[in-house]
Amino acid sequence: MNCYLGVDIGSVSSNFVLIDNEHHLIKKVYIRTQGNPVKAIKEGFSELTDEITQQGITINGVGTTGSGRYLSAVLLGADVIKNEITAHAVAAAHLYPDVKTIIEIGGQDSKIIILKNGIVNDFAMNTVCAAGTGSFLDQQASRLNIDISDFGRRAVLSRQAVRIAGRCGVFAESDMIHKQQMGYPMDDIIMGLCEALVRNYLNNVGKGKKIESPVVFQGGVAANAGLRKAFAKILGMPVNIPEHYDVMGAIGAAMLAMEKMQCSRDNNTQFRGDEFILQGSFKTSSHECQGCPNICEVVCIKRDREILAYWGDRCKKWENSLNEKNHAV
Amino acid sequence: MRVGIPKGLFYHYYFPLWKTFFQDLGAEVVTSAATNRRTVERGIESAVDEACFPIKVYYGHVRELCRQKLDYIFIPRLVSVEYRSYICPKFMGLPDMLKAGLPELLPVIELTVDVSKNDRQLKQDIIRVGKIFTNNKNQINRAYQHGLDELSKCKNLCREGYNISEAIQIWEGEQLELSPNYDLNIGVLGHGYSLYDHTISMNIIERLRKMDCRVFVAETLDQEEIERQAAQIPKKVFWTLGRMMVGSALYMDSHDQFDGIIYLACFGCGPDSMIGEVIERKVKNKPFMFITIDEHTGEAGMVTRLEAFCDMLRRRAGKYEDYISSYG
Repeated sequence: MNCYLGVDIGSVSSNFVLIDNEHHLIKKVYIRTQGNPVKAIKEGFSELTDEITQQGITINGVGTTGSGRYLSAVLLGADVIKNEITAHAVAAAHLYPDVKTIIEIGGQDSKIIILKNGIVNDFAMNTVCAAGTGSFLDQQASRLNIDISDFGRRAVLSRQAVRIAGRCGVFAESDMIHKQQMGYPMDDIIMGLCEALVRNYLNNVGKGKKIESPVVFQGGVAANAGLRKAFAKILGMPVNIPEHYDVMGAIGAAMLAMEKMQCSRDNNTQFRGDEFILQGSFKTSSHECQGCPNICEVVCIKRDREILAYWGDRCKKWENSLNEKNHAV
Repeated sequence: MRVGIPKGLFYHYYFPLWKTFFQDLGAEVVTSAATNRRTVERGIESAVDEACFPIKVYYGHVRELCRQKLDYIFIPRLVSVEYRSYICPKFMGLPDMLKAGLPELLPVIELTVDVSKNDRQLKQDIIRVGKIFTNNKNQINRAYQHGLDELSKCKNLCREGYNISEAIQIWEGEQLELSPNYDLNIGVLGHGYSLYDHTISMNIIERLRKMDCRVFVAETLDQEEIERQAAQIPKKVFWTLGRMMVGSALYMDSHDQFDGIIYLACFGCGPDSMIGEVIERKVKNKPFMFITIDEHTGEAGMVTRLEAFCDMLRRRAGKYEDYISSYG
């Protein structure tokens, strides 16, 4: 069977999907990045290999997205390297052809994407503030000593959400502590946090954007039932959650890879093969280049002894040195 | 005598004027290096916390000059560069802020530029500064006039598509060439001292050019048309740069050749918190993106936004990279 691999390496989670020619999802892997994307890529891919060998899958193309898209492209070999906005929009527009608004909340950033006739017409991402993102909820959950997976379940039990300031994460936290001391029930506080996050999102990210139905809510945070409820309540319209809401970016990347491979004349994928990923040991190292006062932190990615990539150098001295070497070979 | 000019803030708009002025008076002009990590680190160490990023970087430039053998450092006090319009108040207090904050500061040449009512006071101050070098008033006035002429030469270069900072580089004798390959025309707005500083702006202009965009900035547009557009706002914007930005944004919004507009603002910029909002509301016809920058060095956020913006423009216009797409 011919499949396409989509990889979305984010700040919190790393997602892998295999889709077939008909856009059916064959396998998805969702793991936490835990600050080590190289390890996450290896682990995620090795989880896929069982499926690949059992079903006799050939990978015809690879697409990467997420903030680690360049890293994963180096490790796996990618045909398409796409930003998250486009990847999410492509996946959502395929599932819901008439979608007008996509709400995507990830670990460190949140986005709103406005579509017109299935094409991205406008988008916004959170600015320097991370108050309206998943990591804020993660933090508050651990402060309340609740598992993040229980967070949503507890939230929907609430009958009367407590009002918590949503403008800033720091204020929200002190507000929450205050409400705790006053003796408000935990479930109501949790729901209050969900509503605060939604208000923050709409004020910050959705500022000035016209949110029209149908709305699709995706990203890892969409798992949270409390947030789903809060969005539906505050927006006053139904909110659709795709079946694979947590890996939509990866699905979009896979679809873009498929699209590219099917339209290009030669069908040679850049995919480096499972042996390359699973057999080698990957190391990253960094050093400060002393070539000029910019003192760039240059990152080097190695497979065993072979240097795969350099980046971080502003003048591209290191990056280009690799190309020259490759041409010489 | 050696005079140091820090390569920050209004260097990016006025350097040819002051360099010519001091050279004609017989001084040797030295500049700090283009903003690099050391400049930023030195600046953050010594600047007041509330200042915006470009001001902090300016501290770094001044400190770099303080380590050299110089007789003076030139720090102008910019209040107003045109009739009834003003520069951000932080520029008004710049020499004082630096004197208070930097114990190692070398002797400073201050020059107050305030032509909000008339240029009488500026003329007096030019003579006062010139007298540090010579007693010949005619020579001082000629040097200033020569400086203005050189500056307008630079500004003329902007009409060829170079931004004012690039025009200054060319004026200094460097060779620059703009890539002829592009399929998108993007207007990029922001205060020149952040936009044209490669480190502060994370090189946004070059990044866009690498993504096959032709970049337009305020100086490359017809200045009279900018003024006409800016006059549409019910109350006159009294910040010089702010008015230029509003006018340029409306200009770009109403001309077909532009595919999209990006506004680059510094976190903590007072005027931008207002001007950015005005522009965001007034731009009706073109995709608009607001990018905020500060001290952080993570470039991923910037890259993602620029890539997504270009993708969106290309897909909207039906221009695809190297293959035909069937989706949004």
